[in-house]
Amino acid sequence: MALIEARTPLAVEAGDGGRPSSPFGVLARPTASQTGWKSWFTSVDHKKIGIMYGMASLFFFIVGGSEALLIRLQLARPDNHVLSAALYNQVFTMHGVTMIFLVVMPLAAAFANYLIPIQIGARDVAFPRLNAFSFWCYLFGAIFFNTSWFLGGGADGGWFNYAPNSGVLFSRTHGIDFYAVGLIITGIASLVSAINLIVTVLNMRAPGMTLFKMPVFTWMTLVTQFLLLFALPVITVALFLLMFDRRFGSNFFNAANGGDPMLWQHLFWIFGHPEVYIMILPMFGIVSEIIPVFSRKPIFGYPFMVFSGIAIGFMGFGVWAHHMFASGMGPMSVTAFSLSTMFIAVPTGVKILNWLATMWGGRLKFTTAMLFAIGLVTMFTIGGLSGVTHAVASADTQQTDTYYIVAHFHYVLFGGSLLAMLGGFYFWWPKVFGYMLDETIGKWHFWIILIGFNLTFGPMHILGLQGMSRRYFTYSANQGFAFWNMVATIGAFTIAVSMLIFAANIWISRARHKRNPVEVGADPWDARSLEWIVPSPTPEYNFAEIPQITELDDFWYRKYGHDESGRLVRIAKTEDVVQQPGATGIHLPSPSYWPIVLAAGLPFVGYGIIFSLWWALLGGLITVAGFVGWVLEPSTDPEAGHDGHDHEPAPSAGPTEAASEDGAGGADDADSVPALAGAAAGSGAGPEGEQA
Amino acid sequence: MSTPSTRRRHAILRNAVAALALVAIFVAAGCGALRDDKGRPLNTLHPRGEQAQEIDDLITPVFMIAGVAFLFVEGGVLFLAWKFRRRRDDEDGVDEPVQTHGHVRLELAWTILPALLLAGIGVFSVKTIWKLQKAAADRSLMTVQVVGQQWWWEFRYDTDRDGKPDVITANQMVIPAGQMVRLEIRSNDVIHSFWIPELNGKKDAVPGRTHSWSIQAFKPGLYQGTCTEFCGLSHALMRMEVKALPRAEFDQWLQDQRKPATLPTDPTPDDAEDDSPVLAGFKTFQAQCATCHQLDGMTFDGKATDGAPNADYLHNRPAANRPNLTSGNAPNLTHLMSRNRFAGNLFDLYAKDGSVNTVNISSWIRNPGAMKPAAADEYRGMPTLGLDETQISDVVAFLSTLK
Repeated sequence: MALIEARTPLAVEAGDGGRPSSPFGVLARPTASQTGWKSWFTSVDHKKIGIMYGMASLFFFIVGGSEALLIRLQLARPDNHVLSAALYNQVFTMHGVTMIFLVVMPLAAAFANYLIPIQIGARDVAFPRLNAFSFWCYLFGAIFFNTSWFLGGGADGGWFNYAPNSGVLFSRTHGIDFYAVGLIITGIASLVSAINLIVTVLNMRAPGMTLFKMPVFTWMTLVTQFLLLFALPVITVALFLLMFDRRFGSNFFNAANGGDPMLWQHLFWIFGHPEVYIMILPMFGIVSEIIPVFSRKPIFGYPFMVFSGIAIGFMGFGVWAHHMFASGMGPMSVTAFSLSTMFIAVPTGVKILNWLATMWGGRLKFTTAMLFAIGLVTMFTIGGLSGVTHAVASADTQQTDTYYIVAHFHYVLFGGSLLAMLGGFYFWWPKVFGYMLDETIGKWHFWIILIGFNLTFGPMHILGLQGMSRRYFTYSANQGFAFWNMVATIGAFTIAVSMLIFAANIWISRARHKRNPVEVGADPWDARSLEWIVPSPTPEYNFAEIPQITELDDFWYRKYGHDESGRLVRIAKTEDVVQQPGATGIHLPSPSYWPIVLAAGLPFVGYGIIFSLWWALLGGLITVAGFVGWVLEPSTDPEAGHDGHDHEPAPSAGPTEAASEDGAGGADDADSVPALAGAAAGSGAGPEGEQA
Repeated sequence: MSTPSTRRRHAILRNAVAALALVAIFVAAGCGALRDDKGRPLNTLHPRGEQAQEIDDLITPVFMIAGVAFLFVEGGVLFLAWKFRRRRDDEDGVDEPVQTHGHVRLELAWTILPALLLAGIGVFSVKTIWKLQKAAADRSLMTVQVVGQQWWWEFRYDTDRDGKPDVITANQMVIPAGQMVRLEIRSNDVIHSFWIPELNGKKDAVPGRTHSWSIQAFKPGLYQGTCTEFCGLSHALMRMEVKALPRAEFDQWLQDQRKPATLPTDPTPDDAEDDSPVLAGFKTFQAQCATCHQLDGMTFDGKATDGAPNADYLHNRPAANRPNLTSGNAPNLTHLMSRNRFAGNLFDLYAKDGSVNTVNISSWIRNPGAMKPAAADEYRGMPTLGLDETQISDVVAFLSTLK
């Protein structure tokens, strides 16, 4: 550890100072002085990237949510004709893929990007330009995937796209090609981001922050990145094989020509089950941050929380075939996967009970964030318990591919992931944007979404056990499914109403803040972890001074100690503990055009594979240009330090340079350089933010 | 001690308990109501066969344990939220919570106890897996071959065990009641899943593989089933049913099914004017429908048959005449009218009064795509043949004779 702790975060080598920063003389390198909307395209700031991840995922949440509403409209009544069978099959496929790959995963990435560096006391991630590349790669992959709607129709084989139904013979539109290529592109984003965050967490923690002093959210996200690292290559291989089968006539999954459709199933679920934990573990982390704060108690059993998360990560790779109990595996495989699935419930149960124990004896304050966190605890429990009933393999042959499963995973992913993320929004909003979301509207949001959610997915347990299969575009009146389907549809629109309330909350709270700015302070919730020590919104450099960590919840213990009976006593005022805005002369990585250029080439390669290889050539050229430009560009602009004074100043904020004279220094040796305080308004509002 | 505030608190507690009890009663009543199959033909909670019963006996206690865990956690959250809520008069810094960081023994307990409980469930689960496997592996049992294709089910009976099917039927599988029946499940195109919820769980039909499975019905009756692995466009409309008959009736049924189709003969082959509707319908059938649909014993392509069904009806034909059907198979119509429904067990063959439902059948022949989504232009599903109204009514008249 000594090596790591001795290192100053972000002491980035500046490279050869003499090299021009625009290798082709075409693009002048963007500088940190750029603000406004343009700066977002070249930003390598983990906070801006986190915000962009969040905004993009919310956009795709609207897309996926609209698809969900269409599904519910079609199923509201028996023999309905809102959607044709062909369109319905596309809509439910796109809904699933969108929600999993374009909403929940990137939302987790949004929280991870924004929070992890601040939670561990770093000024950015380990590879800032790669981080920007991850985001653009995700965004372009997501847009590429959704353009299939306008180019012949979406994928129509279910998010799992079982072979051979996913073959060209059975799905002649390009939908599944877009699925294969689009997910390969977004997979690159996740894989790159996983490596980036792992290196960040392992190497860039503040001095004194040993692994077991990291916040639980950081821990859970770290475990998640390892899951991504090992699971994504599997799905990428599977998607390549699928793409080869479809585009180039290979026969990996074609039984008629000696391939094996079961191969796809195994590859898909070896990725697919860890994927479930990829989507839920970060949310467990969020809840583990929120509940202690509003209970005014430390997380109960920190080591158990961490180790159960790690255990879930390991065991998550050994349960995949429980998705295949009806697929015709031998009884020995069924036995093995049935048992491993049962025991993965144990670490999950530990987490639930530890959250309850955290609340025990606390002083519970029911803020909106706390309500959403408790929402995860209660709703995820239902999903977890129905999960145990699937682990009983023989019973699962009655349940699998019915609405009972649909109910189960929505209780896990909506009642778990999404509720926790909404809680995370309410919790960290003031840190990110510098103003609070309205608590009263927030509570309406919570209760209405809770009711709507249970109305939608609760009845699906009943529908499934009464024999309604998944992925049915319609059902008949005489099958007895009509009543609960209508209830579910009403519930879905209740959820839509609650999300409109959320949108209104953002709008109203923001307008109120613009009219009448109220200083929220660094620590509005009296919280525990390190992100609350920095000003709100987080300045561009995060920490004016990297804190020395001595214990878990270090920030909390700067404010509080205990008396002899173990009760909390305040030892310092929050204002005296938190960092003040307006630090100057801190080195930060320079913005760059190349991440977005490199990422922009990939969708063209995708179009090329699907339509005409000429597009692939174009995409390849863009990507290669991106690589070359990237490689030739020093990670910190050597020019940036030299002309701080005579650089044309930003209109209203005065000098805004970031880097030092020599371009190679540490964090504290360059106060001669004017501050970047102007650019520190984390919301990107422009340089007039926080001038000291 | 009985201050107004504690009395109010007790009242709240009493009300809460009463409300919980009421909810519990409703849930119990609801669960009971869910168990009958009136209007719910696919109910998994209403076992009517040995395997389904076995599964139900296994899962019911698990549901109950899950219910207890549910009440424990949800009740626990409500209790904690009520008991440890921040009160109006609470002040920061005064009487703050005791800072407990954990309790290793307690946490070990709630790690180990659930693990033991799950291990207990695991023992019964594993036992059932192997028990249900036994019948499926018993080759001495009567075997029905189940073949899935987009979007209907075919059932083949090889009564003399010579490796060639003696009866090929579609949509409705007939079995003897009370007797264990082994199934060999296959697929002709994509993955399907065979499922009769009241008799047993599901088993996938995977191309290139044969999966063994078994069903048994305690009593004679009709048991509805459906495809439950997504198989493309009309996945929702790929239904089937199992008809369990008393042994003697089953034997009779088998005997009837083994007979070739009774086909009309033409006394005046040179004169088409005097043909009866049935005969005219038969001729149209031969010219159009027989390209894909088999009638046992019908001379086709100039080849007489021995009356036994041909398992490779399409493939054994000369390439020039072979329709390019993706699944390579269409329903055998030899004893069409012995079944209840057609087209993936969707549409009634008979009207309520017992007469042939000519409306359904003629609409289907007129435009099958309007009744059930299919991809006939991609050789998946029945195409629109473009017959005129007379031809259609003739074909319906002929089909009605296929008892």
